[in-house]
Amino acid sequence: MPVLNAKALTVERSGQQVLKDVSFSMQQGQVHALLGGNGAGKSTTLLTFLGFLTPVSGSAHVQGRAVSENVSAARQAIAYLPEAATLYGHLNAYENLRYFLSLAKTDTDRRALDAALDRVALQAEAREMRMQTYSKGMRQKVAIAMAILRETPILLLDEPTAGLDPAAIDDFNRLVRDLAEAGRTVLLVTHDVYGACHVADRIHLLHKGELVGSFDRPSGMDRIDTEAVHAAFAAHAA
Amino acid sequence: MTGSFRELRFLAKDRAALLWLGIAVLVAGLSVFLGLREVAAQRTVLNELIEVDRAERDVLRGLHQDWGDVAYYTFHLTHDSPSDFAFAALGQRDTSPWKHHIRALALEGQIYETDAENPDFALIGRFDFAFAASMLAPLLLILLLHDLRSRERAAGRYELLGATAASRGSPWFVRAVLRVGALTLCLLVPLWAAGLLVGTGAAKLALASLVVALHIGFWWGFCAFVDRFGWSSPVNLTALIGAWLALAVVVPAAIESSVETAVPVPEGGEVMLTQREAVNDAWDLPKSATMEPFVERHPEWADYTQVGQSFEWKWYYAFQQVGDQIVEPLSRAYREGRIRRDRLAGTLAWLAPPALSTRALQAIAGTSMADSLAYEQRVRDFHAALRGYYYPRLFRDEVVSDASLGQRPEFPVVGK
Repeated sequence: MPVLNAKALTVERSGQQVLKDVSFSMQQGQVHALLGGNGAGKSTTLLTFLGFLTPVSGSAHVQGRAVSENVSAARQAIAYLPEAATLYGHLNAYENLRYFLSLAKTDTDRRALDAALDRVALQAEAREMRMQTYSKGMRQKVAIAMAILRETPILLLDEPTAGLDPAAIDDFNRLVRDLAEAGRTVLLVTHDVYGACHVADRIHLLHKGELVGSFDRPSGMDRIDTEAVHAAFAAHAA
Repeated sequence: MTGSFRELRFLAKDRAALLWLGIAVLVAGLSVFLGLREVAAQRTVLNELIEVDRAERDVLRGLHQDWGDVAYYTFHLTHDSPSDFAFAALGQRDTSPWKHHIRALALEGQIYETDAENPDFALIGRFDFAFAASMLAPLLLILLLHDLRSRERAAGRYELLGATAASRGSPWFVRAVLRVGALTLCLLVPLWAAGLLVGTGAAKLALASLVVALHIGFWWGFCAFVDRFGWSSPVNLTALIGAWLALAVVVPAAIESSVETAVPVPEGGEVMLTQREAVNDAWDLPKSATMEPFVERHPEWADYTQVGQSFEWKWYYAFQQVGDQIVEPLSRAYREGRIRRDRLAGTLAWLAPPALSTRALQAIAGTSMADSLAYEQRVRDFHAALRGYYYPRLFRDEVVSDASLGQRPEFPVVGK
């Protein structure tokens, strides 16, 4: 049974079709990347799986159940990291994590928080500081830590590497692979062709709401063919 | 961690919310303090007046040998004692907390001599708890609630919060409840403390708390209604402040203007002037012009109204009364007009919750227009009792005695 399944999704926002007949499915432990330019429908796809948007036709399924049937169940199965997530600036990293984890009714102790923050390589001395003093990359690391701590079977990550330095992006990609190997299913949205090719098992290329191509990682290879994805991406961008 | 505890901790870290709540405590505390001080000052003056009134009686006792002099030179203190909740809603107390010149002379001028002073106060209003809870509290609530969701949208957290929350709707409702509850407590705790200090009845405090809670509840509902449109924080704030301005300032002003137009009322000063002119004119009129209308009202003294050419007290008191009789229709129109205006304003106040809340608190405090009119009526009743006491002694030309003076009516103190 697919963990995430988009069946001929068509979504409208303000009377405009922003997703047109998009279909794909993900099995447990897979990493998929949605690639595309601005307005391609990448974030819309994530919001539809979360039940914030209702398709005008087709359906989104989480763990075999239509999202429209039980939005709460879908959200409980998903850890979501929005694009440019701004956590609360007046709280420190621990307080932010505790707040959101409590909201999700997830119990964690200080050691678990530190372990997650270690995994995203957030400096120990910064953790007690208010997040309004953080750089964009540091804020993103805390948000990623939160998604990890949720311990949900599915992660939807919208531009998770935005603001991260190259070393941190490498760390993040490794982290995503580790999570997938641990059985978690990750759907990420990105503009970063190179990063997507390295981390994803499959890339879906979206253009103006339509799925215009999919690229699989060949068996035995450690990445998807970057040249092919680049060519397709450039062809649609032109 | 429960949702309430989580949001309470979150609120405790929100400096802006804490600032508004701190201002609420400050405003409520200051308004209660000023109210207590005002009522204490009124009580002090009242106690001094009662002492002076008693001392004056003692001085006058035995000084005058005829009832005309006694009635003329004896001033009677009447007063409207503040209730144990008056500190919270001073209302009409600045109009006439006491009248200490009541004599058995013409009444209307004595009652309305302060009416020329009142409009100054009426225009600006009092900074009391009723003002703080009815006018300022909605503003603070708006500041606490206007960006509850919109700032999360602006910060890109709205979907994150919605997707993370284990139950639908969370955490908005709990956040709102805590802010509304905290503001209500910030307003009510100073009130309760002051109530305990001065021994306010629990029922009055409970009723006032209910009024405040309902008023806050109305504005909460309004904030929630505006929030549904999904506007940005500045637009929400503009809409809510606009609504506050309309409901707290514009609508009450329109109500006042409409009520004044719909129910014309003569001026209090006009009543006083008309009566005084009638009394002054009486000096130049034939005495029969006074005694005849007096006897019409008091046929029981028909056999005692023969007066000569020289000054006689019974003629003097008769023309004082006739002065009242001449202005009676005007005075009645003034009183009835004020009652009608008050009733109409009470009905229309449902269109302006801040005005409604103010009126409700004043009613609990016994400082409403109805209470003011009730006090005026008690003064009238007392004045009638004074005339009822003096007239038999004047017209029968009785001898002044301590025993008779001891029977002089006292203004009844009414507990509130």
